[in-house]
Amino acid sequence: MMSSKQNEQLVPEKPAATVHGEQLSTTEMELRMKLLREDSELQKLHKQFVIGGVLTESEFWATRKSLLDDDAQRTAKQRAGFKSAMLADVRPSTDGRTNKVTFSLTPEIIHQIFAEKPAVHRAFLNFVPSKMTEKDFWTKYCRAEYLHRTKNSVAAAAEAAEDEELAVFLKHDEILANEARHKIRRVDPTLDMEADIGDDYIHLPDHGILRDGSKETADAENEFARRTLSQDLNRHAAVVLEGRALDVELGDTRTAAEALARSKQAELSTEISDEKTNQERMEKVSRMTEIEDLQAPCSLPFAPLCIKDPREYFDSQQANAFKALGDTGGGITPVDCSLKTEEAYIYLLEQISEVKVRGLNKPVVQPEAALKVLNGLNPYLSSTKYHLGKNPQECVLDRLPNRTKDELMHHWTSIQELLRHFWSSYPVTTAYLYNKVLRLKDAMAQIYHKLQEIKESVQSDFRHQVSLLVQPMLQALDAAFAHYDTEQQKRSVKSGNKPNGFVQ
Amino acid sequence: MKFLIDDVTVYFPYDYIYPEQYEYMVELKRALDARGHCLLEMPTGTGKTVALLSLISSYALARPSPPLKLLYCTRTVHEMEKTLAELRLLHSHLPPTHRSLALGLSSRKNLCVNPIALSSASRDSVDSACRRLTASWVRAAAAEQPPGAVPTCPFFEAYDRAASSGPDAVLLPPGVYTLGDLRALGREKGWCPYFLARQMIRYANVVVYSYQYLLDPKVAGIISREMQRECVVVFDEAHNIDNVCIEALSVSVRRQTLDGATRNLHRMAQEIDRFKATDASRLRAEYNRLVEGLAQRGNLALTDAWLANPALPDDILKEAVPGNIRRAEHFLSVLRRLVQYLKGRLQTENVETERPVDFVASVSSQAGIDQKMLRFCYDRLHSLMLTLEITDTDEFLHIQTICDFATLVGTYMQGFSIIIEPFDERMPHIPDPVLQLSCHDASLAIKPVFDRFQSVIITSGTLSPIDLYPRLLNFNPVISRSFTMSLTRDCICPMVLTRGSDQLPVSTKFDMRSDPGVVRNYGRLLLEMVAAVPDGIVCFFVSYSYMDGIVNSWNEMGILQDVMQHKLVFIETQDVVETTLALDNYRRACDCGRGAVFFSVARGKVAEGIDFDRHYGRLVIMFGVPFQYTLSRILIARLEYLRNTFQIKEGDFLTFDALRQAAQCVGRVIRSKADYGMMIFADKRYSRHDKRSKLPGWILSHLRDAHLNLSTDMALHIAREFLRRMAQPYDKAGTGGRKTLLSQEDLEKMGEGVMDMF
Repeated sequence: MMSSKQNEQLVPEKPAATVHGEQLSTTEMELRMKLLREDSELQKLHKQFVIGGVLTESEFWATRKSLLDDDAQRTAKQRAGFKSAMLADVRPSTDGRTNKVTFSLTPEIIHQIFAEKPAVHRAFLNFVPSKMTEKDFWTKYCRAEYLHRTKNSVAAAAEAAEDEELAVFLKHDEILANEARHKIRRVDPTLDMEADIGDDYIHLPDHGILRDGSKETADAENEFARRTLSQDLNRHAAVVLEGRALDVELGDTRTAAEALARSKQAELSTEISDEKTNQERMEKVSRMTEIEDLQAPCSLPFAPLCIKDPREYFDSQQANAFKALGDTGGGITPVDCSLKTEEAYIYLLEQISEVKVRGLNKPVVQPEAALKVLNGLNPYLSSTKYHLGKNPQECVLDRLPNRTKDELMHHWTSIQELLRHFWSSYPVTTAYLYNKVLRLKDAMAQIYHKLQEIKESVQSDFRHQVSLLVQPMLQALDAAFAHYDTEQQKRSVKSGNKPNGFVQ
Repeated sequence: MKFLIDDVTVYFPYDYIYPEQYEYMVELKRALDARGHCLLEMPTGTGKTVALLSLISSYALARPSPPLKLLYCTRTVHEMEKTLAELRLLHSHLPPTHRSLALGLSSRKNLCVNPIALSSASRDSVDSACRRLTASWVRAAAAEQPPGAVPTCPFFEAYDRAASSGPDAVLLPPGVYTLGDLRALGREKGWCPYFLARQMIRYANVVVYSYQYLLDPKVAGIISREMQRECVVVFDEAHNIDNVCIEALSVSVRRQTLDGATRNLHRMAQEIDRFKATDASRLRAEYNRLVEGLAQRGNLALTDAWLANPALPDDILKEAVPGNIRRAEHFLSVLRRLVQYLKGRLQTENVETERPVDFVASVSSQAGIDQKMLRFCYDRLHSLMLTLEITDTDEFLHIQTICDFATLVGTYMQGFSIIIEPFDERMPHIPDPVLQLSCHDASLAIKPVFDRFQSVIITSGTLSPIDLYPRLLNFNPVISRSFTMSLTRDCICPMVLTRGSDQLPVSTKFDMRSDPGVVRNYGRLLLEMVAAVPDGIVCFFVSYSYMDGIVNSWNEMGILQDVMQHKLVFIETQDVVETTLALDNYRRACDCGRGAVFFSVARGKVAEGIDFDRHYGRLVIMFGVPFQYTLSRILIARLEYLRNTFQIKEGDFLTFDALRQAAQCVGRVIRSKADYGMMIFADKRYSRHDKRSKLPGWILSHLRDAHLNLSTDMALHIAREFLRRMAQPYDKAGTGGRKTLLSQEDLEKMGEGVMDMF
């Protein structure tokens, strides 16, 4: 039985654990509570059915085993990654009148600069605020960037010679070089090109053909021009892949910089052992060499994506897809055809009075105009059939009043849950299952009535749409009831006169 | 699975086999039976390597005497690792009684475990650090002094002690040893993995190493000297083998080399003076040895082995060293004169091209060094450096290069030319004089290999036109075949894109490549594809400078930013470490589903041997036709040689060379028949028949006529259709009569069918 009063007072409280003599460990309990906390929909269902007594605690979780397993493995919380866009590549803007160049930096950009350019990060920690203010620091940085951008290597060299702090930004980043040396050892051996250099017995310089047109000689440039766009791009992509390592608010630059430094320290200390990396490398190699369709398939490990609100996410994905399809998909632009009743009435009245005065024209309507209207309406009508519910901007549900919409959604998930339990209970072999089916059937009957009520109570404008929406739910329930009835009949025929209860 | 080919039981590590793998094995077996060489072109993505390994291993098991050895040559270390991984898989399917020993061999840099030697950063110093610790005179000195006074390498000492009781003491148990395994074993036992591997290749059944170890006479003379005739040599991914052969016999001399050589000579003179004062008997002993005609000193200690003579073994003179360079001082003065002469030649203002005959004549008249003295330079230098007990060999690389050059120029009169250029043509403002001895005849370096070993197998995904390779390499294959691919579904989709979305032609032809319209059209193409294709996309450009230019323009036009909205961007640079890391990140980006684009260069390191199979490459775009830089003097000289000797037309060779590179770039998207990928050739020149027809057959057979002249929007449409089709489930085994996947049963049935026919 569900009563709304009972529901209200219940926050995801301790699930009544020992319903069926099932003893749960505390970790198990915590996990379940955590799941309920994170997923509001699940929580609602749990409240409705378990607390409502339709399902027992273990029944409810039995259908969600995978959820429990997955979560047992997933310890780290999913974090939002960096955007793919290159924020650190700040573009200067000019106002066109003066020679002033403006760079604008946001906390997000600064964070990315720190992550991508460890030298700048270190310089910030060293200089600010002891040597200069934060504003001075960034001014200097932007100046260096501007020199770099304008490819003015002579000026850059000159400025760097005068100002050693500025030189930090322009010089080759040796922290990066160190990191690279560190990382190269963990690289997949099937693409380790570094191992190739001079893999002949004894490497002599100047052997082979130097200038045969297929090779290019690197032009030696000075230290300041060595940083190229390609390096920046590679570095940026690497940082994006590594992901955001810290959860700090991006407000204060100083704290952000310090947090980044801390997380880097932590990274270094938790370096995985050599043996384990070797093991991983071996696995990678063997995966790269196997020919997949000559043998049985194997599944790759993957990180499950955790989506807070699936409905919103998939709707927006679909919106993007439609946008991308754009011209090819023949998307329709909704025409606003709604008129107020009075307006329509007034318009009609005018028309009639006009006819009364002038009488009917020869052709009542211009044939061309009629054809045009007809043609215009036809594709619209035929396309609405396909686009109904596909266009997230004007979803059918969104047109309904909020209360009705919520109710419908809620009933829909409840029905799904109940039906899943219902069908999984067949064939009924024990008294326990028999009771469960009975409980489920009652609960479904209640929802059935509620749906009927909604259908009838809803405003006349929406009645058609609502009935369209409710139809499949009712059908699903009907099928379940029909199945229940036939089973019941069979049973009563088989077991003769055993009217109530089931004895094995 | 296990099946019979004629009388040989073949062990194959998978449950199913492709029909073309089976055919490939049949052809291979015929070549082995005939004890001849063969040339096999097989599409990438049909499991060439595993077919090769499994047939040859099984063949060796079926014919145990004389023991057949497999020398498997790869171009790169990472290909070596892959091959060894496949071998390991195969070994787990061989009957346990027939386990054999297989190992990879690489340089000290990749095998050393001594922390002191490893801490030196560049690779030459790993070699010389090793030599400083292990040279025979260093060890002799260490034995005399109290322990610890002279540092030695504990790993080598332990290995040497173990090996001294006979080779069985260090013989590895059967199995497959990758470089990593060898290192781990070395650490565990305290033995030097490098010398262990060097020793073990004599006893191993399968040796996997780099091309150079067989093709470069300097290296082959040491490493592969002891290999018997009963070897099967495999050159995998051999489409560039002619270039490797040519490189092995080419040397270039730059101003830095000459300056360095002068310094080297100075130091050697000092050393000689020192020895004269302290230990004159040593120099006298050397002189006496040279009188007896022993340029090389009998049996050298394993650790003292140097690079062998750069000339091919058949061409090395077995005579006494000429009298006028036997004395150390005389030899040094000869070298001084040679260096002086070369310095003079480098001061030229114009490009000079000369035949070796003329060059030798002019050396003789101007520096007084005759041809025979030139030929002995390398061996004489080697002897002198051993006598002087020089361990820091990487300091003496320059003088080695000079002697190397002298020996080659004194030995070969044909097939070479000497080209002196005052600057690189592409950068005429930077003076960088260079004197290059360039070999034009690829058959020279590979000839000893063909002569020595019973079967040489040259195989790759791109050997078209297959009749050209026997001419370039001058050999007669008993089998020469090009296989096609039997596909369950059309899982490759090559397209030729000739126009941008604005219908203007796109090309990297010299006069068009910097046209902003072309740059924009290429950018738009990438942008459209990035939005439509999932996971990884690889782009190949014709050169580094072109790639740099176009990426910068895209950055300024904002196209790059739009691309980055969809996928991460990685770029190959000339820095190998950075490129490797970028590739590793690229793979991770594809693995985690973010998707990425990799910009790379045809003829670059990545195009040479990195696979972009499965989700690592759903689309390859080849921007332009990767022609060589046709104004290069060396190329011109080589083309002339090819025309005169082999009657190969310049245009034909250039197109052949460009198209094999292009095919090589795009061919790496497919790994198996379950895989799928698209290839876009974005240049209007690909639609011409003379260019297109040079592509390998397995690509051509999928290139429909309707896909020969596409614009960006049409290509996009085809790509969408293709991806949708590939996403559908399909029957892997193939339907009806056209089986594309064979099980053991099928093979047995086929065998019976053949029986019935005869």
